[in-house]
Amino acid sequence: MSLVTSLIMRQMRAPFIILILGYSISVLGMVLTPGVDDAGNRWNMTFFDAIYFVSYTATTIGFGEIPYPLSNAQRAWALITIYLTVIAWFYSLGKIISLVQDPTFREALTKNQFARQLNRIPDSFILICGFGETGHALASALTERNIRVVVMDDRPELIQVLPLENFPLVVPGICGDAGDPEQLIEAGLQNSKCAAVIAVTADDATNLKIAVTSKLLHPEICVVCRSELEEYERNMISFNTDFVVNPYDTFSNIFAMAIHSPSLHLLYDWLTGVPDTDLTNPVYINEGHWIICGFGRFGKGLYQQLLKAKVKVTIIDPSEAMRESFLNMPENKDNDFIIGTGFDAHTLTVAGVHNAVGIVSGTDNDSNNLSIIMTAKELNPDLFVVARHNKQSNQKLYEATDSNIIMQPSEIIARKIRTLLVSPLMIAFLNKARNQDPTWANITISRILGVLGDSVPVIWTLHVDSKNARALCQVLHLGRVIRVGNLLQDAHQRDQQIKAIPLMLKRNQKLLLMPTDDIAIKSGDQLLFCGTPAAQRSMRWCLNDLHRLNYIMTFEDTPDAYIWRKVHQFMKRNERRNRPRQKRHLMK
Amino acid sequence: MNREKVVFSFFMILALTLNYGFYVGEVDNPAHHNVYELFAVVVVNLIATVLKFGDRSQMGAMLLATSLVALVQLLSASFIWAYVVNIQGQPMTPDTMSTIVSLSGGAMVANIISVILLIIETSMMRH
Repeated sequence: MSLVTSLIMRQMRAPFIILILGYSISVLGMVLTPGVDDAGNRWNMTFFDAIYFVSYTATTIGFGEIPYPLSNAQRAWALITIYLTVIAWFYSLGKIISLVQDPTFREALTKNQFARQLNRIPDSFILICGFGETGHALASALTERNIRVVVMDDRPELIQVLPLENFPLVVPGICGDAGDPEQLIEAGLQNSKCAAVIAVTADDATNLKIAVTSKLLHPEICVVCRSELEEYERNMISFNTDFVVNPYDTFSNIFAMAIHSPSLHLLYDWLTGVPDTDLTNPVYINEGHWIICGFGRFGKGLYQQLLKAKVKVTIIDPSEAMRESFLNMPENKDNDFIIGTGFDAHTLTVAGVHNAVGIVSGTDNDSNNLSIIMTAKELNPDLFVVARHNKQSNQKLYEATDSNIIMQPSEIIARKIRTLLVSPLMIAFLNKARNQDPTWANITISRILGVLGDSVPVIWTLHVDSKNARALCQVLHLGRVIRVGNLLQDAHQRDQQIKAIPLMLKRNQKLLLMPTDDIAIKSGDQLLFCGTPAAQRSMRWCLNDLHRLNYIMTFEDTPDAYIWRKVHQFMKRNERRNRPRQKRHLMK
Repeated sequence: MNREKVVFSFFMILALTLNYGFYVGEVDNPAHHNVYELFAVVVVNLIATVLKFGDRSQMGAMLLATSLVALVQLLSASFIWAYVVNIQGQPMTPDTMSTIVSLSGGAMVANIISVILLIIETSMMRH
């Protein structure tokens, strides 16, 4: 029994005792008061009669059904009974209702409900701390892939609307401060089913606290943290936080990809996007002069990438000290630093906006950024605009500016963490892809377009082990050879291909990009695929159903049931006897 | 002095003594067992049970359990009485009376255990 329940029970004592006393006094009085029966004799109610009488009187039902009319003495006691018991009921009901509405009691109820939901989770779950934009995007992406999540946020209005969200799985939510270890434990941190903690609150200090708490109290679990400031990031890495995701670093890497190889950037965008949305168009960045407004962490990150691309850059920032240190660095000698804000036409003209190819509006103030974009576009409509988007509420405004790339921290973090958790091989794939030449990316892109059409593919990893590919492993054990191409055959029509592309094969820590169809699969391999949801279903069916796999390999639809199997064998024997010379077709 | 404990002891011991008062006498003789006394035992026992609601200590939970046991037997005794006399409309027979009295005897054992627990709890209290 929880503390609150027993507190409530304890407070129920008074109303219960009042009721018991009220009833027993009334009943006793009714039994003792003399009445007169229809023959004029004196009679007394039995306890049974009296309890019946008091019960319908106290609850104000008032049947009025008694063996004989009441005597005046009984009527007098009935009056006392009515006032005594009805008042006792009013008092008790009022007390009980106020207890049920008690905020601590309600809180205890919701906590109990959360604990029950947590218990009902069958295997494992991921705890998401912070249910803002990022947390929401992650919860929906993970539940769509059948991964259980639990969310925690200190804003009750976000947790209250959870049942209204249309997630494919039940998402238990708890309202509480994730920075408080005790509340984090209540949210299921120490639960053995908790597989990972994702700290994506808006505050770096809270994320750090969550990471520390998780690593101390449940060291085995995977901890993913969002961090925007460098000192927090270093701190998080110092105690082995598994993944620290920084929106600015992540974005500057993506930006670098866009500068160096638009097709690789496109590939990244497609393979990490939300499945079933439309594929994006490639972004082409011309070479030439760039202007960066705002030289904070975001601006500096992009500046480093532009510096590597050997592009002339002009920086606009109001900080004098920043300018001093900037000009003192030898590698910056080719580039300018102008003191100013960037949202006035004069500063932008001085910075050379008329001849520039691109502008980065990277201040931490959305109104300034929007103003920079509008002024710059007016001066030079052909500018390539990279916009930093700070507050979610301004999304419509940024969309209206027609910027080429919009950097939205929550979207970038959600995408990165989603990829990390759902398909860890994808990170390895993208890292390896970065070292390939641009033609490789072009070929891959055209292949994806050709096979999968125009919506973002589903990414899945095939682990060749007895848990995830039962039938496949059994067949491999028998010494049969199965190739990558076999996996791509349709479970319904073996001569047709499913809409999927093998992206990478991982065998003994070795990575092979785009494995060809003739590679034989070995037990223990990991294969990364992209394709349509239907293709994923078909493949999963084949790999776990011996009959389907057999069909794919031999073109024979063998029956499942015992009798049909016997009939089938009998017919095959007959067939063989009739044509003894014919060679059996074997798939090697 | 813990007022809550004193009040509970009062009702518990009252329940036991009333219970004894009802129980004592020839087991099948209706003249020895008063219906008002049974009524009083039920009411006092009900109050004693309610007084232990929401007690989180081990002793409190035990006392709640024993008084619930007593209550169950006393209520069954009352139901039998009401059933035979009021519903079936028969006069009280020695058979029925002995059933009722033996049930109240069972309730008395539970009440005795309650009082023993109460004594143990009191004697363990540090002064």
